[in-house]
Amino acid sequence: MKRKTLDSAPWIWRTISTVSVLATLLLLFGFGYAIKDVIFPEGDPALGTRQSSNTPADEASKPAAPVEDGKIRMAVIGDSLARGTGDDEGLGFVRRAGNLLKEQGYDVQVLNNLGVNGLRTEALLSKLDEQGVRYVLQQSNFILLSIGANDLFQGGQVLQGEDPPTAETLAAALPETSKRLQEILKKVKEINPDAQIAYIGLYNPFGDVKELEVPGNAVVAAWNDAALQILNQEDKMTLVPTFDLFENHLGEYLSSDHFHPNGAGYEEIAVRIAQEYQAETPAEGSTN
Amino acid sequence: MSKIMPLIRNETIKMVKKKRLYIIFIVLAVLVPMFTYAQMKSAENNRDKFGGDWRLELQQAITDNQNSLGSDRVPEEYKKYRTVYIQQMQYYLENDVNPEEPNGVTFTREFMNNAVGLFIPLLIMAIASDLVSGERTTGTIKMLLTRPVKRWKVLFSKLVTLIMFVSIIVVSAYIICYVISGAVFGYKGFGMPIFTGFKVVGTDVDLSAVHAVDQWLYLLMQAGLIWFVSVIVAILAFMVSVLVRSTAASIVIMMAALIAGTILTNMAASWQSAKYLFMVNLELPDYLSGGLPPIEGMNLGFSLIVLSVWGIASLIVSFLVFTKRDILN
Repeated sequence: MKRKTLDSAPWIWRTISTVSVLATLLLLFGFGYAIKDVIFPEGDPALGTRQSSNTPADEASKPAAPVEDGKIRMAVIGDSLARGTGDDEGLGFVRRAGNLLKEQGYDVQVLNNLGVNGLRTEALLSKLDEQGVRYVLQQSNFILLSIGANDLFQGGQVLQGEDPPTAETLAAALPETSKRLQEILKKVKEINPDAQIAYIGLYNPFGDVKELEVPGNAVVAAWNDAALQILNQEDKMTLVPTFDLFENHLGEYLSSDHFHPNGAGYEEIAVRIAQEYQAETPAEGSTN
Repeated sequence: MSKIMPLIRNETIKMVKKKRLYIIFIVLAVLVPMFTYAQMKSAENNRDKFGGDWRLELQQAITDNQNSLGSDRVPEEYKKYRTVYIQQMQYYLENDVNPEEPNGVTFTREFMNNAVGLFIPLLIMAIASDLVSGERTTGTIKMLLTRPVKRWKVLFSKLVTLIMFVSIIVVSAYIICYVISGAVFGYKGFGMPIFTGFKVVGTDVDLSAVHAVDQWLYLLMQAGLIWFVSVIVAILAFMVSVLVRSTAASIVIMMAALIAGTILTNMAASWQSAKYLFMVNLELPDYLSGGLPPIEGMNLGFSLIVLSVWGIASLIVSFLVFTKRDILN
């Protein structure tokens, strides 16, 4: 036993010492380099936030558009309604519509849900400049859009807030907001000219609050009108009306926050979305 | 000085003969496949959802994080982390680089990033904690100290040996991780660009200093930082092993300190002076990837100084105690 130890010792020592010295030197180099790199970083001017990228070079560097294989690629962008807030099952109208279309025999893929709670038209406009968002929209061929409710109703805070909107304040917000909606639609169209775009119209969540029913209805109607006018000027753009769906069924279709739809409400919207899609391209890609 | 080399050599041989050293490698060889498998499963899951398109997946992650920012139920601290995360991920998207491209190198990078706070220090402790106390438990310390060698030389040879093995452990952790995960994810990815240089100012990310480095260089820098952390942890464990008679106590003390560190980093943002504790400063690789530091005002320079002060203080204590104290009875 003793002999063996004596024999193997020089070999062990030589290997271990060489390996450890090399490892230490390597790690020391990495350590020094890391300090240099973190404490005195050199920015690369070639990189950077390529926010407003409308240059053709940028578009060219993007991956090619998906092949037209008859598959419906859905994406949704916008506010909490797009997100599906209030839906107990968390599906939102986009997944529900996707499921309905699937039942009809279409090949459906829901790419992304880019809905952000509380999003307003202004924020959405700048969002459309983000590379990731643009990419998602470029990859889809059926784009759903829900925006405007937060601009008009301040995200439902009116219900808890002190000052309920009067007809005047609601009407005052209208021209500015609908102008931005126009910009949004134009931009989406620019990003993906081939996709079908469905804008989800507004409903009046305050239809059963006495002092809000009339001004609410008026402004929602005016808003939907304005949206329709914009949408009518473009082909492949449709309005999905929801006003009449909710008008006399608020108790049935609204969730407990009394602003967002519940599962049943989203299902109703989804049915309409599915109908809109069929109306545009009947039976294309359908196996039925 | 002439007596030092044989002493180091002697300590090295002793270390190699110890079974505990091999346990470290066995632990790595068992744990890494587990994480690899978990990672593979989650990658498969995402592939089903997003059709293998990382841009869609990343954008969804960004949107989901944006949604949690608006929620009142999410603590403010988390929101800060997420704001920083969102901005970084958007940067990756804008430059069309996949930050999580699945390959062996990326897995190794991520694994080591998560391992630096607790796992790697734990492995280091396995060899450091009984270096002196172990000899006292077995009584062999008497043999060492009755020889005509200065005590500080004995201790110094142990320290040098320890640091040698720290280097070996860090490098082998990388190699084991890369070899095992590469078998599943592929061995490519060294040339992939990684962004570094994100400066966090409040909750805003300053992008002016961001630059891309190849992943191999990133890995090397990360390894260097992890090595430094490991050396400090080794020195601290070394001191504890000088101060405490039993190896078990020595391990428990270090473990408690480390675990307290991980808890503190998660919740002590309001306790400002916690940033002077060594265990809060272990996540050095985070400065490389540009994450939000656990406590405001911390940066790489600060953490390096705090760790160095702890390290030097422990060395002084170790040598003073070991040379002055009556150890032999």
